[in-house]
Amino acid sequence: MIRSITRLLIMLCFSFGFAQEKNEVEKRIEKQEVPQQAKAWLNDAYENKRRTKWYFQTDDEEQVFEAKLKHNKHLHSVEFDLDGNVRNIEVLIDENELDEEVRKVISTYLNTYFSKFSISKIQIQYTGEGDDLEDVIDEDEFEDITVSYEIEFYGKTETEDELWEALFDSEGILIKKRSVNLKATDNLDY
Amino acid sequence: MKRLILMVCLLGSFLAEAQSDRFIFGFFPEASLSYKVSEKYTVTHKIESQHGLYDSNNLNEELEYEHSLTDLQSFIGRRLSPFVKVDVGYQYRIEEGENTHRTIQQVSILQRASFYRIGHRIRIDETFFKEAPLLFRARYRLKGQIPLQGLSLDPGEKYLAVSNELIYMIQSSEDDLENRFAASLGFYFDDKNKFEVGLDYRTDDYLVEDKFRHRLWFKVGYYKSL
Repeated sequence: MIRSITRLLIMLCFSFGFAQEKNEVEKRIEKQEVPQQAKAWLNDAYENKRRTKWYFQTDDEEQVFEAKLKHNKHLHSVEFDLDGNVRNIEVLIDENELDEEVRKVISTYLNTYFSKFSISKIQIQYTGEGDDLEDVIDEDEFEDITVSYEIEFYGKTETEDELWEALFDSEGILIKKRSVNLKATDNLDY
Repeated sequence: MKRLILMVCLLGSFLAEAQSDRFIFGFFPEASLSYKVSEKYTVTHKIESQHGLYDSNNLNEELEYEHSLTDLQSFIGRRLSPFVKVDVGYQYRIEEGENTHRTIQQVSILQRASFYRIGHRIRIDETFFKEAPLLFRARYRLKGQIPLQGLSLDPGEKYLAVSNELIYMIQSSEDDLENRFAASLGFYFDDKNKFEVGLDYRTDDYLVEDKFRHRLWFKVGYYKSL
């Protein structure tokens, strides 16, 4: 009996641990494999941008289509559901492009919880209805749009020493974070 | 196709140059097995073996098989951060004449970018001989890995691995340099199983008069972790 409970506890620990980790798989796909609705939305919003690369992405929870393209010198990743409805737009930015107030709040969080940290990637995430998201791109309008920030950073605490991916809201308050599994380095080390 | 043409041109230039120097060609299989022994510590065993098929020093210049050497290595490594790892290792080399012992110390640094990654390896090693003095070597290797399908490397996909290593060695008062350039096609079955096949071009005896050596190895490597 005790052995069964121990085993159950160990399994629970493992499943909890895995749920906190990022395990994304992304495959490059041809334009023909993408739902027509997604391609139409992209053409309207980005006015027929030519160099778009399409991907099919899965993680532990969901499957999405993703378009990656350059717009106004920034890399944009546009996510669509399997029916081709746009879900969000992520724009890769530099640390110095972060809104000053947001940057202060995020810096306070990082300084408070981590003895050592360094930011490696920042993306602004715009979420909303298709028409509103289109306005973000072609009109620079942000009505009914939820803004959040996805930040990848290395952070060290007394007990943890990891690469993290965290989501902060429009004011820079942490919503959630998960550790990023780095790939094995055996072929680079030996 | 462009890559293939470049490879053939490079190979051609090596062979042309090699006419006045010593040129060796052969087969070089290697395999490594890594496993965690605790949260921070990893043990790695590696076997690599060089099999010569052609040596321009042979008078008849015909293909002739020769077992050059086999190395058996074991390392214990500690991860200092997600990006930095230190290892100490031991190598037993089996080769004609005298089998040797080598101690190895290395620091590996992982550098990540949006879609590729680079491994920096700084290594020193000491080789012990029965009669000859200690051979000391200091080495730096840079190895880049680029996915060939998409922006991230996922299970079942291929990648390109390119590396260059510069080695300085000194034995008694004689020193020399060696350079190792390798390019391979990698098969990323999953994170615990990787296979690389490619060419490894080594040149040495840079500081030895009238004695320059080229070695071109057809290399296959399997990287397994548990």
